[in-house]
Amino acid sequence: MNTQENLDPIVLALVQNRLDHISHQMGWVMTRTARSPIFSQSHDFSCFIADPDGTLVSQADGIPIHTGGGGFAVRALLRDFDGDIHDGDVFVLNDPYTAGGNHLPDWVIARPVFAGGNLVAFACNRAHQSDIGGGAAGTYNSEAREIFHEGIRLPVMKLIEKGETRQDIWRLLMINTRTAEALDGDLRAMIGSTRIGADRIAALVEELGMAQYRDYFEGILEHADRSFRRCVSSIPDGDYRAEEAIDNDCFEPIDDAIRVRLGVKGEALEVDFTGTAPQVQGFKNSSVANTWSAVYMALASYFDPDLPRNEGTFRTVTITAPEGTIINALPPAAMTMNTVFVAHEIVHAIWKTLNQAVPERSCAGWAKAVHGTTSGRTGEASPFVMYHWNSAPGGGGVEGRDGFNQIGHLIALGGLVLPNVETYERLYPVLFKRQEFRTDAAGPGAYRGGTGCNFEVQVSVDAEYAFRGEGLYTPSCFGAAGGRAGEVGDMELTFADGGNEQAPKYAVRRYGPLTLRAASPGGGGWGDPRQRDPERVLRDIRDGVVSRQAGEDVYGVAVSADGKSIDEAATANLRAG
Amino acid sequence: MNEAAARPLAPWRIGVDVGGTFTDMVLRDQGGDLWVFKAPSVPADPSQGVLAVLQRAVDSFAMPLSDLLADCALFFHGSTVATNTILEKKGAKVGLLTTTGFRDSLEVRRGIRENQWDHRAPFPQVLVPRYLRQPVGGRLDKDGVELAALTLSDVVAATDIFAEDGVETIAVALLNSYGNPAHEEAVAAHLGQSGAHPWISLSSRVAPIMGEYERTSTAVVNAYIAPKVVGYLRDLDSHLHSHGLTRPILLLQSNGGAVSVEQVAERPVNLVLSGPAAGVGALGLYSRAAGSDNLIAMEIGGTSCDVMLMGEGQVEVTDELIIDGYHLATPSVEIHTVGAGGGTIARVDEAGLLHVGPQGAGAVPGPACYGLGGAEPTVTDAYMVLGRLRPGPYAGGSVTLDDELARRAIMDKIATPLGIGVEEAAAGIIRLLEQNLLHAVEHISIQRGHNPQRFTLVAAGGAGPMHGAAVARALGCRRAYVPRQAGAFCALGMLHTDIRQDYLQVHFDNLDTVDGNILEKGFEPLAVRAAAALTAEGFTGAQAIMHRELDLRYRGQLWSIRVALPGGVFDPAAVRLAFDADHQRQYGHTQPGGTIEITALRVTGRGLIETAEPVAAAPATGLPEPTAIRQVYADSESGWRETPVYAGSDLRPGFAQDGPLLVEELTTTVFVGPKDRLTVDEADNFMIEIDGAGN
Repeated sequence: MNTQENLDPIVLALVQNRLDHISHQMGWVMTRTARSPIFSQSHDFSCFIADPDGTLVSQADGIPIHTGGGGFAVRALLRDFDGDIHDGDVFVLNDPYTAGGNHLPDWVIARPVFAGGNLVAFACNRAHQSDIGGGAAGTYNSEAREIFHEGIRLPVMKLIEKGETRQDIWRLLMINTRTAEALDGDLRAMIGSTRIGADRIAALVEELGMAQYRDYFEGILEHADRSFRRCVSSIPDGDYRAEEAIDNDCFEPIDDAIRVRLGVKGEALEVDFTGTAPQVQGFKNSSVANTWSAVYMALASYFDPDLPRNEGTFRTVTITAPEGTIINALPPAAMTMNTVFVAHEIVHAIWKTLNQAVPERSCAGWAKAVHGTTSGRTGEASPFVMYHWNSAPGGGGVEGRDGFNQIGHLIALGGLVLPNVETYERLYPVLFKRQEFRTDAAGPGAYRGGTGCNFEVQVSVDAEYAFRGEGLYTPSCFGAAGGRAGEVGDMELTFADGGNEQAPKYAVRRYGPLTLRAASPGGGGWGDPRQRDPERVLRDIRDGVVSRQAGEDVYGVAVSADGKSIDEAATANLRAG
Repeated sequence: MNEAAARPLAPWRIGVDVGGTFTDMVLRDQGGDLWVFKAPSVPADPSQGVLAVLQRAVDSFAMPLSDLLADCALFFHGSTVATNTILEKKGAKVGLLTTTGFRDSLEVRRGIRENQWDHRAPFPQVLVPRYLRQPVGGRLDKDGVELAALTLSDVVAATDIFAEDGVETIAVALLNSYGNPAHEEAVAAHLGQSGAHPWISLSSRVAPIMGEYERTSTAVVNAYIAPKVVGYLRDLDSHLHSHGLTRPILLLQSNGGAVSVEQVAERPVNLVLSGPAAGVGALGLYSRAAGSDNLIAMEIGGTSCDVMLMGEGQVEVTDELIIDGYHLATPSVEIHTVGAGGGTIARVDEAGLLHVGPQGAGAVPGPACYGLGGAEPTVTDAYMVLGRLRPGPYAGGSVTLDDELARRAIMDKIATPLGIGVEEAAAGIIRLLEQNLLHAVEHISIQRGHNPQRFTLVAAGGAGPMHGAAVARALGCRRAYVPRQAGAFCALGMLHTDIRQDYLQVHFDNLDTVDGNILEKGFEPLAVRAAAALTAEGFTGAQAIMHRELDLRYRGQLWSIRVALPGGVFDPAAVRLAFDADHQRQYGHTQPGGTIEITALRVTGRGLIETAEPVAAAPATGLPEPTAIRQVYADSESGWRETPVYAGSDLRPGFAQDGPLLVEELTTTVFVGPKDRLTVDEADNFMIEIDGAGN
């Protein structure tokens, strides 16, 4: 099994770096040439390279929730076009049920790479499109109950055939979007990035030689396999079980859960979702590719940040994902939301099993976002769609670090950057009033969770509100190693006439000018709060993110009358108790 | 080059660059001759390194310090004092005044993570704790219109808190102040009256950009470093003045231009890249010498490699800089830094793969061959094993290299775990390092839409000339340029630096419909400030150049491109053409007829320093003899080759020889492989022709 013995170890290291560099290069070209700001701002795409069998050999570039899932798309391509793949072809796909997609807005452009007349690899780019038709502008249709409400479905198709763009297909794509100009530009950028990638991969393969290059690709996968086996072997053998609640189906409250069993035996790891909630009527059902990525992200983020990002890492992992459940839904379940929710829940469930198995690396939960979008018109040709990112919630603590007080979605591990309010006041008809840390909302711990924030914004026009507040009203994170969950989120709307109402968790509604106030949830704490360094508690009290009362009651730390130093005697008393 | 004993011809220029390990000094005299001196840096008091290196010159020239300084027409200084104050967390205690409701922007940091996969890493420590970030009532809207009046009583309350806590400097960053500084100025006026706070940083003066997080962060870092940095520079300036220097010292700024201490006292945060930014001056010099204005410099030191690109004679200046995790919106030349240098550590991971960097061994313990207790094999150890460096004393005896220690480290940590020979392992370390360098060069070029093959690679820094040819070959460049003073690249670059100050005003308008008079009214105050700054430096008339630019974008985009207004004249049609052309190069497409928005007005004031052209050195006469011939490992194809070693001072303009060969210079060693050819050009620098051997 060990291919590496026949390989030059220096060349192997060079090939690993080169492949990762090529995926980064594809990413630069994408960022530089795409039309939609989402790609340069939020990097909501990933570039990856697969071998001729569709095994992912590098996905160094891209957001964590894309990582590890690219191989499904290439294998679908190989299945549908076996024997009909030629130099100069370029494929497009998005369907999560038939084409290895993760959700419909993420389109994959896949380009076969030829060297010496042979198919040697695939250069691919998966990117979130600005609009793909469906029931709502901007790809997220909160009211979808079937995938047909979510946009155009693409099986694996040849978009370019031996260098000739298929104009019929191109026109088909362009009439199925509300933003044809952006889609046109972004598709060209994706195609361009795979062209650069393919050129570089072909040059690398030719340098290595046709006889040897597969051995080096295999050597890279084996190194990743060995790296992750070392992680797995550090987990004590056994079965670890956990669940993460699913309390709504995007329309109604439900009482169900993601249920996972982590089976560890030596270097083998089993992730078994048997018993998980059935698929739901709303749009947060997961596809196979998305579930695999979420599992990959949960495992990789728990262990080593430098783990190679290829499918070799997964050779020792078996995933059991029963069909018809929320993590492997059957058609025609809706699924656009899945890269955020239910991916967040999958990561949480797996972290909970690992927290039992390897407590010293345990991770507290990251609270879920409360925000949705506001869309309307301000006299421009096209409507605006504004995300209330500035209400982002708190992250979870780990040993040695408090949770981030405000951070983008867990599934990007902070890769989504929050906007400046000054920028948004210029772009949208809004005036921000507040974005400040909450007091006593952070999950208590030796390393506490993030505080979450108090958020307030005035919207001055009539607008449509798409609510998807997974972090509202019910707990959305958990503590670890003796730490506790953070406070829940809350959202309230106040109208021009002075009336107000509590925001729904999921719904689409229209309102006149209003003030939206939210308290985003705090993240989970790590470790016993009574073990928290009293200096950190003092700082939190001085900073106003922990009250004096909570300092005493929760952390067992008393401060002096002027609030500037620790009352050592009183603290000793409190902590003795 | 002059013999060390000779005296320079007055007047001369001096550049002193304080680096992490060494303080470099370059003196260029009236005749164009260059002298280089080095002394160890003293991080606790950088001025000691400056005085020590001046003493080296005093000793060498047998000339009193007062003469050395009195005949110095221009004294340039690049200092790490601003950077080190941040890295070492030795700045002042800062109080921050922010708009009510938004005091946490500084700590939220927009949630930006440097490496998202490494989620266990904390954010850098926030420079102002929340309890010293105090809210002030009052609000401006996006156009600067007052929605609520400033609440001065909040300022009073805050300053009481600050006083109680021993706050030394105050930063003020209010929402939307980029469009209207009135509220910030009113706060400053109030604080000024109280007289308790000599150091006040207003975000609207330090970094008047849109975006409260970056503007606040910049104002805070400015406040944090100001007392220490400005105090240090004033002391140094007056010390040198008291010893005979007539003109105030000129400091290198992040924008690649120079400025005097008093002109930068309000914005010392502009000095963070002081030093590396002097590469701009060096590239200007070498572009004239190499006859190309498309250059990529790769300056490789002990721990890192700084890559800088000059395209069509311009080095890109942006408003984005990150130092130790802190975001700064100050005009800064674009430099891409990677952890690849002579002290970079090689290791084999637990699953058996070789890695080189990014960690380095630092000055202490340094590479294994230094014999200072370092056990980790480094790039320098690989040079030793391959014969590219000889054992024995180096750098004037400050280190003694031991090739046995180098061999043992590479054998134990690399060769044995990988099951290969020690020389193969050493050659592998070099190959991986050179791959990292190649990727860094591709990063800065391809990301900006440049084809690196159209560039000449300049290999600088102490370790650069070892790798210039290999990286140039991998890039597909035809030649690598190696400055003779490669190890004093920045100190030399300073001598060719103009005075420069940048001014910005955020301004939103439509390119096609804007009234030119309105733009003129926007530019005017910026131009007045720039002219005043240049006049204060002694530059007027033809020596004071004003340069106007617009920041532009297609409607709907979030990023902007800068377009120059030739002669300061606003011609919308010409501006559109220039914008479209640059957009095509950088982003690969344009929007014909698309609406173009103006987002900012910029004025750069430049005080022209008299150009010091390279002077033709005496040509070579006869073929110099090598000082030694030894076995050196070239590459996997050529293996060990008998290689002549030349003393750099023996090689004169016109010298040309095929590799393999080594040149030992004062501050560097140049390696030329068997397929390449070395020449010395008229400017007395080295040029390596890739695959030029036998031609």
